[in-house]
Amino acid sequence: MDSRRTFLKTLSGAAVGVAALAGWPAWAQTTEQSSSINLPGEDGMIVRSQRFLDLETSVEYFDSWLTPVSHFFVRNHMHEPVERNAGDWRLTVGGEVDKVSTFSLRELTQLPVHSVVNTLECAGNGRGFYRPQVPGIQWQKGAVGTARFSGPRLADILHRADVKSSGKHVMFRGLDEVPGKVPPFIRSIPIEKALDSDTLIATHMNGAPLTKHHGFPARALVPGWIGAASCKWLEEIKILESEFVGNFMSPGYRFPNQVVKPGDSVKPEDTHVVTGLNVKSVISGPLDGSSLKSGQVTVHGIAWAGEADIVKVEISIDGGSSWNPATLGREQSRYAWRLWTFSWNAKRGDYLIQSRATDSRGRAQPMEAAWNPSGYLYNAIDQVKIHVA
Amino acid sequence: MSHKNSVILLVLIALSTPAWIPAQNSAKLNEELPAGAMQQKATTACLECHEARIIVQQRLSKAVWTKEVDKMVKWGAVVDANDRDALIDYLSGNFGPGQPEYSAPRSAQEKTTVRSTRQTSK
Repeated sequence: MDSRRTFLKTLSGAAVGVAALAGWPAWAQTTEQSSSINLPGEDGMIVRSQRFLDLETSVEYFDSWLTPVSHFFVRNHMHEPVERNAGDWRLTVGGEVDKVSTFSLRELTQLPVHSVVNTLECAGNGRGFYRPQVPGIQWQKGAVGTARFSGPRLADILHRADVKSSGKHVMFRGLDEVPGKVPPFIRSIPIEKALDSDTLIATHMNGAPLTKHHGFPARALVPGWIGAASCKWLEEIKILESEFVGNFMSPGYRFPNQVVKPGDSVKPEDTHVVTGLNVKSVISGPLDGSSLKSGQVTVHGIAWAGEADIVKVEISIDGGSSWNPATLGREQSRYAWRLWTFSWNAKRGDYLIQSRATDSRGRAQPMEAAWNPSGYLYNAIDQVKIHVA
Repeated sequence: MSHKNSVILLVLIALSTPAWIPAQNSAKLNEELPAGAMQQKATTACLECHEARIIVQQRLSKAVWTKEVDKMVKWGAVVDANDRDALIDYLSGNFGPGQPEYSAPRSAQEKTTVRSTRQTSK
């Protein structure tokens, strides 16, 4: 606990006084380092919270297929674990198994390595846009990122433990430090998803060992599903006969079965667990509120759909009256977002630019996202206003 | 234009917020709970576990703040029963739906990066 407090004190001590440029877009800043919070390894991130650490990516960084770790959003529900010697770390696998197993990091890294390029998105990404507002971190567009995650398949680990036929769900427990009487962050996924050949116990991200903020030494990686499924700082895997019962399975991370009138409450029995991500696109440029010269402008951004594939992204420059196809980027992988561009000869005037993605399941972004009491899965058509002079 | 006027003009340009900059320059690096009768008790009850920014960014109705306070008490926040209603009033009064939009600060840039919209002149 002392180490954690020292670590936190260091973080808060690094924060210096308010300056006029704090909060300005990164591309508008020069070297005003004293106007921002010093978080080593995190580059120009929107600080939603330092304690617990919750960092959002600013949209101008969504200009590459793989998001650098320094620009990758960070979501913590509670305190990060204290620094530990990786040599002392152990992952145990128990519950409905014939052989309770324990893995050191060295043993884990000796298993066959598999890589998955995955778009990881917090279920609450976009929560800040719901009206009426709902409690929680007020994420806007940037609690999402794409990285190449690598590590052994969860299926290989489970096979070593000989899962019994009674094992239907796989529970993950991390090393998060729980404050007060807050329930521990424990979640479970169905055995079918756990045995999927792309579900990993990831030790690496973009070719380097996981950083502390992203779950060192190992995290679950449940591709196409909300970020909360991919438990960080993993220490225990337990096979269960039924879904784990706990706060972060219910009432947390549940979505209404029916459309809800904004502001209404929903009974727990009228909800289901949130799993796969929605179809969604974000415009990463031009930036909202920007002023451009007339001429050729390239509207660009990202689009993803969880376990489905993006089939098209359309752009409107007239407030939604007409839609034009964007060109999808060449880089693609099953669970990864697609980059897209749309070039346009902009004449003088004020414009509302919108982007709308459609996926292989026929889902398209709606004009308004489905309000829900926890603010999950926001995916309304994205839009920016620009001025062309 | 005289040299003095030129300097004044440059200063005015430097101080004015361009239209294309989002109104985020009120972001505070160190958030504290606002003054009020319940400031100290809210600080003691809430900030033991998390920082003020998690509260300050919310814009919630009194009904939702009531649920949040009761949940946090269940999760270990120490709130005297006699202070519960006053704490809910303090939170909903300062962080209700009618309050100005919250703007979050940024972390320092690791290296100076100047980005711009992709545009080519005809």
